[in-house]
Amino acid sequence: MAEVKSGEGGALTTTVDQAMEWARSNSLWPLTFGLACCAIEMMAIQASNLDISRFGSEIFRNSPRQSDLMIVSGTVTKKMAPRLRRIYDEMPYPKYVIAMGVCVIQGGPYHLGYSVVLGVDRVVPVDVYVPGCPPTPEALTYGIMLLQKKIRNEAER
Amino acid sequence: MLVEIIEETKGKDGRRNLKVAKENLVELIKDLKSKGYDHLSLITGIDRKDRLEVVYHLHNMKKNEYIVVRTETMDERMPSISSLYAAANWEEREQYDMLGIVFEGHPNLKRLFLPESWVGHPLRKNYDLSKVQYINMDEDGNDYATFDPGDGW
Repeated sequence: MAEVKSGEGGALTTTVDQAMEWARSNSLWPLTFGLACCAIEMMAIQASNLDISRFGSEIFRNSPRQSDLMIVSGTVTKKMAPRLRRIYDEMPYPKYVIAMGVCVIQGGPYHLGYSVVLGVDRVVPVDVYVPGCPPTPEALTYGIMLLQKKIRNEAER
Repeated sequence: MLVEIIEETKGKDGRRNLKVAKENLVELIKDLKSKGYDHLSLITGIDRKDRLEVVYHLHNMKKNEYIVVRTETMDERMPSISSLYAAANWEEREQYDMLGIVFEGHPNLKRLFLPESWVGHPLRKNYDLSKVQYINMDEDGNDYATFDPGDGW
């Protein structure tokens, strides 16, 4: 918690903001959204071995209207891009996106192909990039923890 | 065999590999179907720059035997076998989509994966990758291809 200034009631707003961010960062609801092989690693982070619930992330929701974190795991094709955008638009604010794997970051091994979007950040705004082909589940867990750190510092940015 | 086989070889796995002229293709496949090759496993296409090659993989369910029929075309046209095998319908549409092979007699020869407004056939050797195309959805949920990177998304 940042130091509380005296007077003007501004201290209250800051504190509420930080409390909200803390609560929000420890209650991420990821969307069940697997596009390719990275999704297998994404599934592993929720299983008992690397349980993301211990780090303050809830279970994967099956509806974009009930989730606030989209983990784009796997190659985004040009045909998928408008669908991905539509799913992203259906998610309620505040919403966050993690780009998982090099395919999602810049096209990866398929960057010379005719059908691959060269980076999902051309379609939706990305908060955290997790590189790797595929990233280990530990790396994705670290990415989620970085995102939580980012959410907790939102008011200061 | 009723029809003339140009070349017959054996693959590493013992599959018979027949090469026929495109005029005899339908007759040969009809003949093989009557001999127990009741499953069309796959149709693939190859761009050899001066000609297009189409390969049919047929499977005998009872004996578990495969046979490969190769044929080639100089003018991008092939006879359709979708009246013999229902599976050929989508396989031929895929080859039309990716290589631009027109299957004559096909009941519904449309692109299988890409939207109809996509320009060119991406698995052709002369396909121009430098002209990037994008796919977007209109309000009805139908895909369309565009050259404009600022369109939607």
